[in-house]
Amino acid sequence: MSQVGKEIPKVDALEKVLGEAKFGADLYVKEPLHLKVVRSVKPHARIVKIELDEALRVSGAERIFTAKDIPGSNLIGAVIKDQPVLALDRVRCIGDPVALVAAKTVEAAEEAAKKVVVVYKDLPFIKHPEEGLKPHAPLIHEKGNLLLEFHITKGDVQRGFKESEIIIEETYTTGFVKQAYLEPDAGIAYMDEERRITVVCPTQKIHYDQMEVASVLSLPLEKVRIIQCTTGGAFGGRLDITVQCLLALAAFHLKRPVRIVYSQEEVFQATSKRHPFKIRYKSGAKRDGTLTAVEVDILVDTGAYASLAPPVAVRSAIHATGPYQIPHVKVRSRTTYTNNPWAGAMRGFGVPQIAFAHESQMDILAHALKLDPIDIRLRNALRIGSETTTGQILKASAGIGETLRKVEEWRDREVIPKTNLKKPYIKKGIGIGSIWYGIGNKLSPNPSTAQIEIDPNGGVRLFTGAADIGQGSDTVLLQVASEPLGFSPDEVQLIHADTALNTDAGLTAASRQTYMSGNAILNAIEMLKHDILKEASRLLRAEEKDFFFDHGEVRQRSNSSASISVKEVAKRCGRVLRGEGIFDLEYIKLDPKTGQGSPYETYAFATHLAEVEVNTKTGMVKVNRLVASHDVGKAINPKNVIGQIAGGAVMGIGFALMEEFIPGKTTSFVNYLIPTSKDIPELIPILIEDEEPTGPFGAKGVAELPLIASAPAIINAIADAIGKRIYHLPANLEHIMEVIQKSI
Amino acid sequence: MIPSFNYKIPKTLQEACDLLWEAGGKAKIIAGGTDLVIGLRNGVHKPNYLIDITKIEELRRIDEKDGKVSIGAAVTHSEIASSPVVKKYGKVLSDAAAEIGSPQIRNLGTIGGNIINASPAADTIPPLMVLNAIGRVMSKKGERDVPLFQLFKGPYETNLKPHEILAQVKFQKLSFSMKSSFIRVARRGAMAIARMSVVIILQMEDGEDWIKDIRVSVGAITPTHFCRHWCDYRLWPSSGKPEDISPRSCRTMPRCRTMPQRMSEAEAVLKGKLIDEELLRKASIKVSEAMIHRSGVRPSTSYKAPMIEALFMMALREALEEQP
Repeated sequence: MSQVGKEIPKVDALEKVLGEAKFGADLYVKEPLHLKVVRSVKPHARIVKIELDEALRVSGAERIFTAKDIPGSNLIGAVIKDQPVLALDRVRCIGDPVALVAAKTVEAAEEAAKKVVVVYKDLPFIKHPEEGLKPHAPLIHEKGNLLLEFHITKGDVQRGFKESEIIIEETYTTGFVKQAYLEPDAGIAYMDEERRITVVCPTQKIHYDQMEVASVLSLPLEKVRIIQCTTGGAFGGRLDITVQCLLALAAFHLKRPVRIVYSQEEVFQATSKRHPFKIRYKSGAKRDGTLTAVEVDILVDTGAYASLAPPVAVRSAIHATGPYQIPHVKVRSRTTYTNNPWAGAMRGFGVPQIAFAHESQMDILAHALKLDPIDIRLRNALRIGSETTTGQILKASAGIGETLRKVEEWRDREVIPKTNLKKPYIKKGIGIGSIWYGIGNKLSPNPSTAQIEIDPNGGVRLFTGAADIGQGSDTVLLQVASEPLGFSPDEVQLIHADTALNTDAGLTAASRQTYMSGNAILNAIEMLKHDILKEASRLLRAEEKDFFFDHGEVRQRSNSSASISVKEVAKRCGRVLRGEGIFDLEYIKLDPKTGQGSPYETYAFATHLAEVEVNTKTGMVKVNRLVASHDVGKAINPKNVIGQIAGGAVMGIGFALMEEFIPGKTTSFVNYLIPTSKDIPELIPILIEDEEPTGPFGAKGVAELPLIASAPAIINAIADAIGKRIYHLPANLEHIMEVIQKSI
Repeated sequence: MIPSFNYKIPKTLQEACDLLWEAGGKAKIIAGGTDLVIGLRNGVHKPNYLIDITKIEELRRIDEKDGKVSIGAAVTHSEIASSPVVKKYGKVLSDAAAEIGSPQIRNLGTIGGNIINASPAADTIPPLMVLNAIGRVMSKKGERDVPLFQLFKGPYETNLKPHEILAQVKFQKLSFSMKSSFIRVARRGAMAIARMSVVIILQMEDGEDWIKDIRVSVGAITPTHFCRHWCDYRLWPSSGKPEDISPRSCRTMPRCRTMPQRMSEAEAVLKGKLIDEELLRKASIKVSEAMIHRSGVRPSTSYKAPMIEALFMMALREALEEQP
C-alpha cells in the first residue's frame, strides 16, 4: 500500500503553525452585532420576571431576546429534548441561559447583560444523585429525576459468587471533569447568498447542529447551513449545542450578521462535562485468578439536563467488566438529574470512570491472591471466540492479550527499586491498566456518507461531512481516499464539514470517523471505479472485466501495453466521474431485560503500564514513564495514531491526578489544572495491528482509548508505591495524603 | 472587557514619580502585568492611568555594591533566575524565580510586581524574607528604605501610599559558608500557584554540627486564589458575580491576613543548638504551630500541618547536605 500506513504530516498542520487557521473567535464578518448571554446564578429557581428596560437603555444595545422570541421549539438535546435554548420560566442549574443581548459593541453587550434584571424565586435543589432518587425529592423535570435505568444480566451472578473463592467489593467515585479544549466557544451567523441562516463555529457534528437550529427557528432543514470552522479541540464537549442556536436565533430576528465569543469562565460554566460516577463493584474469582462473577452498580450524575447521559450510562454498563471474559455478570446503570451543571460527552464516554473501577478490582484481586497483575489479566482476557458481557462472540481482531504481552516484555526488562535510599519518603511503583472500547456503534443508526469525483480537468474531490476537531480525520480520510486509485493525498481536494456541500457523516465521536467514514469513502470509490471502468471500456473498446486498476491507471489484462490514467478517462469522456458511498451497520436493540446483544461491530483494546513516584510527605505524584500498548487494527497514519495516544495518555494523567470541576468553585483554567509539558512522562507507544476485517484497510479506532487506559495504570502504580488504595479521582495532593495517613 | 485608561511610559524614575503624584491615587503601576491585567479584566482595578515602569533603565538592573545585591523593581523573573550574581549570593531567590509560572510569565513578570501584588503565594517573597531584603520606596516627596516584612498590610495590601513606588529591593550578600534551600509544592509541574513553599538559610559553626544562624520562611500558608475575596465558595454573593464579592464577605477574614513571614519561633528553637533528629522534630512542630496560629484552623489544615513539618525537615536536610 502506498498511502495507508504512511506517516504524512497532518494536512492542517501548516496553516496552524503559521497562525493562518481561523478558529471561532477569528472569524470575520462585516459589522456584526455582538451577543452576550445572561445566565442563571441559581441552581434551581422559578423565573418570576425578567426586566429589560434598563439594559435596553445602554447605548449600543439593540435587542434582548428571551424564550418568548423563539419561533420554533425551545427545547434541544442530543437524545432527549429537555434543555431550553433560553430558560422559559425556570432555571435548573447555575449557568442556564436566560436572555441573549445583541449590541453594537462587545462592551455594550456586556454592559447591557449586566443590567438585565432577573427576579428568581428559589426552589429546593438537589446536589447528589442519591438525594434526587428519594421518594419525595423535588422534581427537576416532570417525568422524574431517574432518567434511565439499564440492566445487563448474563448467567447467574449468585451462582458465580458461590463458585468463587474470593470476593472483593468496593465503591469508587469520580468528579466532574471538563474537556478543557483551549479554544473558547465562539462563532458567527449571517444570511448567506441563498438566504440560508448560516452558522460558522467550532463543532463536532454539523448535521445534528443543522437539525437543532432548524427546529428552534421552525425552518426547513435546507434553510439552515452549518459550517465547521477550524476547531481547537472538542473531546466531546462540542457534541452538544454550544453557540449555534443563540447565533442563529439572533441572526434570524435581526437580519444581520452576529458574532459571539464565550469567555473561558463561560465555557467552563455553560458547556458539558464528564459525568461524576459512583460505582459499587463486586468481583468474585477462583484462587488461580479466574473471574467467576461480577456485579456492578453504576450511578451517573447527569446534572440538570439529559444531554448524552443515556448512551453514556449504557456504554459504561456494557464495558463494566473490562476486557475480560466472565461467565456471570449483573450490571445496573442508572442516571439521574441533579441541579449540578449538566454533563455530556467527554473522551471515553463513561468508560474512563468504569475502567478506574474494574482495573482497581483486578489489582486488588491479584494482590489478595498473590498473583502477577499481568498474569491475572491474561488469564481472563477476551480472545477470538470469547463471549462478552452482552453475549457477543468476538470473531476477529481481539488483541488485548497481545497488548498485555508487549507490556510484560517491557516491564520485565528492568527492576525498578521501590525506594530511594537517600530519600526514603519517595516511593516508586508500577501499575497496569487494560481496557477495551466498542467501535462501530450498532445501538442507534449512525450512517456515514461520502462522495468522490474526478472532473474532466483532472481535479479530484473528496466530499465528507466529518468534522476534524484536531484529531486528524481530514488527513486519515484523504489517505484512505487516495489509496485505491493511486492518488497522492495532496492532489485530492477535500470539501468538508459544510451542510450546504456535504451529506451527513455523523458525529466526530465514539472513535468512529476512521471506521465509519473510512468505510463510506471506500464504498464511494467502489462506485467511482465502476463509473471509470464503464467509460474506459467504451474509450478503449474492450470489456469492463478486462480492466484493472494500477497506481492511478486503468490497465487491460489482455493487452499489457493498453492503459489509460484515471484522470484521462474523465478528460476524454468530458464529464464528472463520481462515486457515492454510504456505510451503516445493522441496527440492533439490546434485550430490554438482560441487555444481551452485539452492540458494537468490533472492539479496540489497550494496556498501559505506568511508572510513578509518590512523595509520601507532600502527596505529589510524578509519572515517570507510560508504556502505551494499543491494538488499533491498522494504523492508517502511525504518526497520527501515536499523537492520539500521547495526547490521550496525558489527559488520563489529568483525570487521575488533578482534574476536577467543583460546582460553584471552579471557574476556569486558573483553578482547573490540566497537565503541562512539565507533567508529561516519557511515553513509549506500542502499536499492535490485529486487523479488523470490517474496518477500512483493517483499521478500528484509537481516539478515546489512551485516556481510558492511562488513568487506572497510574492509580494502580500509586497503590503499588504506597501500599494503599485510591477509591476517588482525582488523586490530588490532599487525597493522596489522606490515603497515606489513613491507619488501615 | 478591560475599561479604557491612559497609558504612560515614563523613561525616568523622576518622571514616574511625577506622574504618580499628578494622578492623585487614580493610577496603577504596571511592571509586566501578569497579575494586574487579570485584576483589570475582572474589575478589581479601575485606574484612570497605567504607568508602565519597564522602560526605566535604572529599574531594570541587578547590581552588586558594598556587599549588597540590589535588584530593580522591573527586573523580570527570567532575568533573576539566570543572573549569576543572584545565583551566587542569593540562590534561594533565583531558584524561586525559576519556578514561577511558565517561560512567558517569567519573561514578563517582575520582582517589583510580584512583591507589590502581595499575594500570600508570591514566590519571591519567602526568599526575600530570609534574605532580610529591604525595599527602596520612592516618591515625589522623597525616598525611604523599608524592610520587606513591614511593607505588607495583609494579602494583596501594602503600606505604600498611592504616590509611592517600589524602586528596588536589596539584600546583604550571603557568605559562602551559608547554606540554603528552597522547596515548593504545587499541583503540577508548571503554571501552578504554590500550594506551599519553604525557604531556609543556614549557617553552621565551622566544621561542626552547631547551628550558628538560621532563617526560615514559609509561603502560601494562607489561602490565596480564592481568598483574594473569599475563603469558601459557599460565601459567593447571591448574584453569583465575582465582581460583587467583597473582602467583607470573607467570614474568616481576620484569620487569613497572613503574609509570608519568618518563622521566628522555629528559628529560636534551632539557633545555637547542636543539630539532631529530636531538635529537627521540635523545630518542625514549631513551624506548623506557628502556621496554625497565624492562619487559623482551616479545612486544609489537616493536609497542610503535617506537610509543612515534612517540607521543613526536607528543606533543612537539603540545606545541610548542600555543598558550598
